[in-house]
Amino acid sequence: MKPMLSTDLNAADTTVEKAKIEVKNLNFYYGQSKALKDINLSLPERSVTAFIGPSGCGKSTLLRVLNRIYELYPKQSAEGQVLLDGKNILDRSQDLNLLRTKIGMVFQKPTPFPMSIYENIAFGVRLYEKISKAEMDSRVEQALKRAALWNEVKDKLNASGLSLSGGQQQRLCIARTVAVKPEVILLDEPASALDPLSTAKIEELIDELQADYTIVIVTHNMQQAARVSRQTAFMYLGELVEFDRTEKIFTSPREKRTQDYITGRFG
Amino acid sequence: MSTAASLHQNRKRKNAVMMTLCVVAAGIGLAWLALILGALLYKGLSGVNLAVFTEMTPPPGDAGGLLNAIYGSIVMTIIGIVVGTPIGVLAGTYMAEYGRFSKLTTVVRFINDILLSAPSIIIGLFVYELMVRPMGHFSAIAGAVALSILVIPVVVRTTEDMLNLVPNALREAGAAIGAPRWVVIRSVAYRAALSGIVTGILLAIARISGETAPLLFTALNNQFWSSNLNAPMASLPVTIFQFALSPYEEWQQLAWTGALIITLTVLGLSIIARSLTGRREDR
Repeated sequence: MKPMLSTDLNAADTTVEKAKIEVKNLNFYYGQSKALKDINLSLPERSVTAFIGPSGCGKSTLLRVLNRIYELYPKQSAEGQVLLDGKNILDRSQDLNLLRTKIGMVFQKPTPFPMSIYENIAFGVRLYEKISKAEMDSRVEQALKRAALWNEVKDKLNASGLSLSGGQQQRLCIARTVAVKPEVILLDEPASALDPLSTAKIEELIDELQADYTIVIVTHNMQQAARVSRQTAFMYLGELVEFDRTEKIFTSPREKRTQDYITGRFG
Repeated sequence: MSTAASLHQNRKRKNAVMMTLCVVAAGIGLAWLALILGALLYKGLSGVNLAVFTEMTPPPGDAGGLLNAIYGSIVMTIIGIVVGTPIGVLAGTYMAEYGRFSKLTTVVRFINDILLSAPSIIIGLFVYELMVRPMGHFSAIAGAVALSILVIPVVVRTTEDMLNLVPNALREAGAAIGAPRWVVIRSVAYRAALSGIVTGILLAIARISGETAPLLFTALNNQFWSSNLNAPMASLPVTIFQFALSPYEEWQQLAWTGALIITLTVLGLSIIARSLTGRREDR
């Protein structure tokens, strides 16, 4: 595994890197209650950013704004700007389905569709591309290889996705997300329902994927954030308290609240 | 120590009493079922022969079969299901998917529950006013419409319940790879809820295949073979009703046999429905 943090990377470099997603003055409401307060944040391209913080701090909410999945539910609303390559995705004219093909998402609990392993992956591809059977076969194979699942399932592609173990299901979900060729992958506590071995596999995978994708991961597990991410955002009570290189957050945070949280004094 | 021991004894005694009551209650419930099935088998089985399935209902005092009644029941049940199921599934889909958070859904659910428990004779009277009177005569199609009205609330209810059991995470996952809502419903939600929805349809078939009251006012009955949907049509339940009330022994025997056929059909459908739901839980 290559080192996740090169020592010569400093805060100045992070700001110079091209921002894939820029969040500007973002507020988020569940009905009347304000869940995110004036968030400003810039996520660099092809790099892993972690959102950490205690339960209810808004880290998952922030993640769910990035692909506007919150819009499946009424009474949830966002104001402000979220720029993807400079274009505001909160704009009403933004097509949600197209947005979500660009910004994929993997959830806390594995969510394989009730269909075969092959179909789980082909399903998403077929939505926006018309390709031949042979092309689809190779697409499925690539995606499964990318998610480090190919060797385990290549002989049973027609078996139900639900027949896999939890860790395998989660990698299937990652494969499914990768198959539609997104630019950004959002991971909402992707390993919290998995055993340590499966977790290690997922983390390894995240490390490999950042070469090609901008990755945002929400995690409860601070060690996990430290292991996989290059930048870390610490959130508390709907506010972004501190955002910096992961190394900096975990060794010399600016804010006392960050310090208290990472040393386990609360949360 | 002694209080603890006596408390324990006391609990054990109470447990024994409650257990006995429960077993007795369950036994009573099952006993009726066993008696009904036993009586049906005893009285009905002796009348089962080829003629039942090949000959028409006879005039009094003659031998005959139930072919026209069986045919009528099958035809009207099929039409009832074919008409009622799409409406029920679509309404249930609206309630569980598109209108999950809307006020309309609450209202529709409430009305649907009333319809679900409405006496079927009222449905029969309703269709009588709606179709039979304007048309001037009883007809199989009116019977089928009455049955379809009975199908709708059953299917609406099970479809909504089964779709509500599909975890939201699965819908989010569908949306998250860019699938439009209708694709998520069709390819993910329906697939996850399929066995439950099919179970609901089977239960609806089981329910309408034994209904008598709504057919009395609509399809009436027919002593002869008729495949004309615009004319009165025989059906098993109405034939049983008529024959069982008659003083003729042949008719009474045919009523028993008909009752046995319906019961076994419904029993078979219920078993299929159970095994489908069972499979779902295994997964």
